[in-house]
Amino acid sequence: MEIIAKIAFGFYTLVVVGGACVAVTNASLVRSLVGLVAAMFGVAGLYMLMNAPFIAFMQILIYVGGVSVLIFFAIMLTRAAPTGDEAMHRPLRKRINAIFAMLVPGVVLSVAIVRHLPAGDKLPADVPLTALGRGLMERYLLNFELISVVLFVAMAGAVMLAWRQWGEKE
Amino acid sequence: MSPLHLYQLVALLLLCVGLYGLIWRRSLVGMLICVELMLNGAGLSIVAACQLTPANAVLGQLGTLLVMGLAAAEATLVLAIVYVVTRRFKTSESIVVSEMKR
Repeated sequence: MEIIAKIAFGFYTLVVVGGACVAVTNASLVRSLVGLVAAMFGVAGLYMLMNAPFIAFMQILIYVGGVSVLIFFAIMLTRAAPTGDEAMHRPLRKRINAIFAMLVPGVVLSVAIVRHLPAGDKLPADVPLTALGRGLMERYLLNFELISVVLFVAMAGAVMLAWRQWGEKE
Repeated sequence: MSPLHLYQLVALLLLCVGLYGLIWRRSLVGMLICVELMLNGAGLSIVAACQLTPANAVLGQLGTLLVMGLAAAEATLVLAIVYVVTRRFKTSESIVVSEMKR
């Protein structure tokens, strides 16, 4: 890696880590959503650094443009106040559980990565956009169509769930 | 440390932070945010594994696109579920919902 790539990698990693920490620890859900958006932008920058600009722009379009708006709607629909559920005191056991849930896969996988992962290429592969389009239209056409079916079913299911007045007492 | 190691470690960090938050959060929306963090880590790991090794790079990038589409579908469904749960239980705290009665 050249020096500029190293600086960019450090910057994006800092954005990802900071955003993730804000997203997880902040008591206000809106602020935690902002942290999540920052982390997504950082990951998009890392995609750019890995010579995958198409995926980077898709990340910004789908995650930052779509998913975060959905989460914001969810926050509004639950009327989550900054002093609400998230700000309440948690027992010590919960913190210990959370740290264990983080540490067990973290330690195992990081040891696996550091010890057993072979050193990859110095430079990322160069994939032209035409190759991606060709892949979508020829070899992975079925997957491409299936993902649209999944999206349609999910949207229809979401509308059905919200349509039926399951919350009301008859 | 090669670039592949560094990218995989960042992805692993996203997974760990997301797992921590999944246990730590009380409300369903907070847990959804943590799941999205973990899915971001998964995408980063897939792209790093295909771009920095001799593996099929097109397959890896399109697989990440698939993960993003599934994440969008999942967020849509969770939005509807959170909406229904909030109307029924008058709260979106996971501990209240997990008692399975009102």
